[in-house]
Amino acid sequence: MTTNGSEMDASIIRGMTQPRITRRDLFKTAGAVAGAAGLSSGLSSVAGALPNSNVGSKTWWASQQVHHQLNFANWPYYIDTVSGTHPSLVEFKKETGINVTYSEVIEDNPAFYQRIIPSLSAGGSTGYDLIVMTNNSPQLGYLIQGGYLIPLDQTAMTNFNKYASPTVKNPVWDRGNKYTMAYQSGWTSLAYDANKVKSPGNSLSLMFSTKYKGQVGMFADPIELGAIGLLAIGVNPASSTPSDWSRAATKLRQQRDSGIVAAYYGNDYINHLKNGDLAISQCYSGDIFQARVNGSKNLNLLTPKEGLLFWTDNMAIPLYAANPRDAMKAMDFYFSPLTQAVVEYYVDYICPVPTAKNEMLKPTGWDKAALAAMKAEVGLTSTQVASAPTIFPTAAMNAISKPYYQFKSQTEIDTWNETFLPIVQGQ
Amino acid sequence: MSRLASARRWGRGATPYALGAPAVIWLIALFLIPLVVMLVKALETCSPITQACTMTWHWSEFSYVWHGSAQSIFTSLRFAAYATVIDVVLSFPIAYWIAFYGGRRKNFFLLMLLVPFFVSFVIRTIIWQFLLSSSGIILTVARDLHLVGPNYHVLQTSGAVIAGLAYNYLPFTALPIFVALERIDKNLIDAARDLYSSKVEVFRRVIFPLARPGVFAAFLLTFIPAFGDYVNQQVLGGISNTMVGTVIQNYFLAYSDPTSGSALSAIVMGISLIAIVLGGIAIGARNLGDYV
Repeated sequence: MTTNGSEMDASIIRGMTQPRITRRDLFKTAGAVAGAAGLSSGLSSVAGALPNSNVGSKTWWASQQVHHQLNFANWPYYIDTVSGTHPSLVEFKKETGINVTYSEVIEDNPAFYQRIIPSLSAGGSTGYDLIVMTNNSPQLGYLIQGGYLIPLDQTAMTNFNKYASPTVKNPVWDRGNKYTMAYQSGWTSLAYDANKVKSPGNSLSLMFSTKYKGQVGMFADPIELGAIGLLAIGVNPASSTPSDWSRAATKLRQQRDSGIVAAYYGNDYINHLKNGDLAISQCYSGDIFQARVNGSKNLNLLTPKEGLLFWTDNMAIPLYAANPRDAMKAMDFYFSPLTQAVVEYYVDYICPVPTAKNEMLKPTGWDKAALAAMKAEVGLTSTQVASAPTIFPTAAMNAISKPYYQFKSQTEIDTWNETFLPIVQGQ
Repeated sequence: MSRLASARRWGRGATPYALGAPAVIWLIALFLIPLVVMLVKALETCSPITQACTMTWHWSEFSYVWHGSAQSIFTSLRFAAYATVIDVVLSFPIAYWIAFYGGRRKNFFLLMLLVPFFVSFVIRTIIWQFLLSSSGIILTVARDLHLVGPNYHVLQTSGAVIAGLAYNYLPFTALPIFVALERIDKNLIDAARDLYSSKVEVFRRVIFPLARPGVFAAFLLTFIPAFGDYVNQQVLGGISNTMVGTVIQNYFLAYSDPTSGSALSAIVMGISLIAIVLGGIAIGARNLGDYV
């Protein structure tokens, strides 16, 4: 439907969402969803309700053996690569004898969740021992709350305890790192094409500028879209309220209806930026760094005064995984500064191990050969990568990092989606 | 009657059923059951976490998705109609020429028509995205020649989506029309000429009426998939042209809401059915059975 004026929108949305909320409420009272009010706060308490409540306990872990086999599901372009092989996985095999089947099958959180949940809810293995999910997506919360992740062996996290950055230790979405360890973090912000945007300024208000009508790309993911909308109206997403959400939605709707937004994108926004179809786009920090390395020097990451949205992709072991011990070993291996130096040199997101910076500058072991082997493909010196504030953030950058809103119930997720989804759907 | 004869007669009676069984099983397993599952799902309530569903006879789901998605349904209908018309207008002369003037090389010409479609659907569409992008070869040249302004763009417009649909479904239009034209008995054309019909009259009163079943099949094979298409819109389109296929895909994959996705799919199927009947009437079917 075409709508003018936000008042009308709000009433229509309320009107059309009312029956659904009622239905969900009914459903909840029927008790089929266990404790929907506890996505973040009551995480640990839910595990007790698991059918396999023994899984992940100390005695259970004590009986888990290395099978020399690991099925690792990850996102595309998210691991060190040189002519088709992954040096860190080669080294992992050398050190542990574990053979890794690495699949780049995760392209967004909800779709991957849809792929694995039928087997998980039927009590079967997903086929993966290690998966990577983003903290800002409700799906990671669903996995934890549904009891679909194996609690980690806290005694097998040596590197993590020693080297992990404070930004990923004991995070708000998984207190005590009971189920997850970070893989990479990143920022969501705006990117601009310096050939088209001569004076970008230092504010998110750039994305509302009528000067770039039809040339601004936004994310289709309602979580990302809503969060940057909140930041842009000067609200910290983490402490926002539903009334802030609708104010942000109003602003984003205006942006759309005045023709500023070209389209709402998934991961393909970066091609449109490179092709010159967009002057400004919501972006992930690592993509912009990689695009610059690959020749698009005109693309820049905006560091807005309102802040940068900080997210983390987390490694976790899905329930019924065949090789949990192997997965545990791999997770800790990725917290060695040597491994992270190699991964980060290629991946260019925010490194969860700050000391990997020194390692990148002065390699002390197997990473030396791996870094040298990748140099031609990466095309940057290790000094250039190590000194990038988007990879090893400065204190100032960390200070303006803003976390996402932490959903406390399914009702909140529904409300959020019903606030921001219609904008993307063209309603 | 001997026992053998009765067995043989029974056997003969069962043969058609036995031969039809694969098709019937196919229809039941891959059409009827999924259809019922979809309708059931639309009335259920599902947990976003476990995706477990319970039947709640939630009929208002239909009005909920209708209110939210009517706009995208109308957009899809409009785009599919444009694409179908463009395809019929483009492919009729092609099919006509191959059928009547192709001679011994008919099969070669048909192959030439189909060769681009040996490449995967999605890849073809993404290549269009490269061609039509603001820094792609077409717009760069057009801008340098001052044929278009500096901010002119093709991607994200409705025109780009319709062009993508028309391009991708062209063979589904051309082939049925070709088959219908090829089947026309050339003696009928000669007879019409003998009876002093002009070329235009021959086309209007002999060729086109005989090609109607092909045009109707072309309409079915182009309009219906184009109506539900979501690839072209996502790759080539923007925000003012969201098609219903994209909305359904989002319900299922992005928003973990199979209930709404199923309800909307059911609505789209109903509309497709109505569109088939209306399309049949418009093309001149007196009796749908004649043409299907």
